[in-house]
Amino acid sequence: MSKSFAKHIGYDDPLEIYLSRLEGLLSADYRISRRSVALLILQEDKEILNLVQEKEKTHRQEIAGIIEEAKKHFSHPLNYIISLCRQKEAALISGQVMSVKKNTKNSLRSIVSRAMMNPFIGGPFLLLVLYYGLYKFVGVFGAGVLVNFLEEHIFSSHVNPIMISLVKNTVHFQPLQDLLVGDYGIITLGFRYAFAIILPIVATFFFAFAIIEDTGYLPRLAMLVDQLFKKIGLSGRAVIPLVLGLGCSTMATIVTRTLPTKRERIIATLLLALAIPCSAQMGVIMGLLGDKPLGLVIWLLVIIGVFLIVGFLAAKIMPGELPSFYMEIPPLRLPHLWNILRKTFVRLKWYFFEVLPLFVFASVFIWLGQLTGVFNFLVKIMEYPIRLIGLPSQASVAFLFGFFRRDYGAAGLYDLKKAGLLSGNQLVIGCITLTLFLPCIAQLLMNIKERGLRLGIAMSVFILFFSFAVGFAVSQIFLLFHLHI
Amino acid sequence: MRKIAIAGSPNVGKSVMFNNLTGTYATVSNYPGTTVEVSRGKCKIGNEEFEIIDTPGMYSLLPLSEEERVSRAILLEEEPCCVLHVIDAKNLERMLSFTLQLLEAGIPIILVLNIMDEARGLGINIDTARLEKELNIPVVATVSTTGEGMDILKGKIEAHVKKFC
Repeated sequence: MSKSFAKHIGYDDPLEIYLSRLEGLLSADYRISRRSVALLILQEDKEILNLVQEKEKTHRQEIAGIIEEAKKHFSHPLNYIISLCRQKEAALISGQVMSVKKNTKNSLRSIVSRAMMNPFIGGPFLLLVLYYGLYKFVGVFGAGVLVNFLEEHIFSSHVNPIMISLVKNTVHFQPLQDLLVGDYGIITLGFRYAFAIILPIVATFFFAFAIIEDTGYLPRLAMLVDQLFKKIGLSGRAVIPLVLGLGCSTMATIVTRTLPTKRERIIATLLLALAIPCSAQMGVIMGLLGDKPLGLVIWLLVIIGVFLIVGFLAAKIMPGELPSFYMEIPPLRLPHLWNILRKTFVRLKWYFFEVLPLFVFASVFIWLGQLTGVFNFLVKIMEYPIRLIGLPSQASVAFLFGFFRRDYGAAGLYDLKKAGLLSGNQLVIGCITLTLFLPCIAQLLMNIKERGLRLGIAMSVFILFFSFAVGFAVSQIFLLFHLHI
Repeated sequence: MRKIAIAGSPNVGKSVMFNNLTGTYATVSNYPGTTVEVSRGKCKIGNEEFEIIDTPGMYSLLPLSEEERVSRAILLEEEPCCVLHVIDAKNLERMLSFTLQLLEAGIPIILVLNIMDEARGLGINIDTARLEKELNIPVVATVSTTGEGMDILKGKIEAHVKKFC
């Protein structure tokens, strides 16, 4: 790489001496200037230190000695001193090239911006955002109006009958008919769930989320909840993966990479897997409990309670320093419709490619299970914990679905409710347990990929038992207080 | 194919820049840290086709988070023939510090003063010619969301590549 760009910034005297001593010891090629490598060594950059130790075997001791000497010489950390020098230089240059004509108008933007971060105004504002953005738009419009339309008027009355008669007329092999258009068939169940239930919900969520994120509201929300999040071992920064998790927890698990410490990443991953329902699942649940406001409130309180308690305990169990929080607050902006539509489309595409194969796979798997009798066996096993939490045994099928996709499981409950098999109490317990219940396969795989096999599996086992324990506790409380919802 | 990397602090418009150059789409949002994975695309500048690499945001050459490590690795290991250091023109002073680090390291950069529209709205005026002289590198003012300055940027990339690569 051409060194002609290397610019010389002067540092304070003693620092310069250490730098030139280090530079003198470096003989290998690092693809960046020696001065830059020397600076990173002094700031004890682990990667660079390892590299240097490998490449400069003969000078190892000497280099370590210089670092120690330099550290002793200054009362502040070296990276602070180095940044300070650089910042001075930057201020000098920008002072020469930049002029500001004071803009006197106290803009509406800054007033709104401050209000969003003020607990007394920001809190109610958050509730408004959740109520209109999430509940009204995604829950009532997406999961209610759109799903009903697609379910009743497109699939049940047109697509399914046509496909069923088409398959029955062309395929004369009974098991193959079942695979395609049976009770759990690829077309009748997999495609119907994907297009009529999941698609409208996820699409409305991603659309609402895109608007919220493009205005710049999320970083302000991060500031608002930072104090609360500190108690559960996270910082305000974690707001972004967690809110995105309300859309798709799998996608959000990738975004936990933006969290600075390993501890925060683990806690956020656990909470995403346990207590953050994805949009599809949430939408279906809102649809299920839509006519039972009290049930919806109980569901919400239990999930929030679990979120806070598990987060608090996880933070206690996992030692680590308090996360520091530093985030740029971007200006509030009016979102561009084009960017929002495009982003919604890109996320939907990602989601669909992730989901549809799994739906088909689930249908095939259940079909195989039915042919061999394994499916019925699993349903029977599942019936024990299901009855324990007070649900009818038919619900065990929904929970088995939940293994494949969280929303798939909730959609299974939807079918049960339509058949009139669930009482109000049972619906609430079912929704709570399914929300907490195992992460879907895609998320489990992502957890393993991001957090490692051991932690990924351990989280799932914990969640499996924990979700049923909470479901059981809630059902006992209902019994104890004779609550009927 | 020679490479051009886009680097800079979070939320300065790197991904929009990437979308403008490559005509593809990387997710863009108004908060820091949208890009967690590296996007790659192609762009023809002059008569040459380049690989464009969009990197997750980084504040300095000394990485604190995983994404910053990823970004640094790209700058150091993939040896791009040119790095576009994109900064928010409103925060020139704070962001120049990273420019200085890149220069110190001998990485061939073009400084892109993005979000010029908001800077102008705040009454900020930046003498780009003077800045070019001070830093001895090409400097371009842009508004990536409207495409303002993109042609000039491409011209500067072309000249830069001819001269140094």
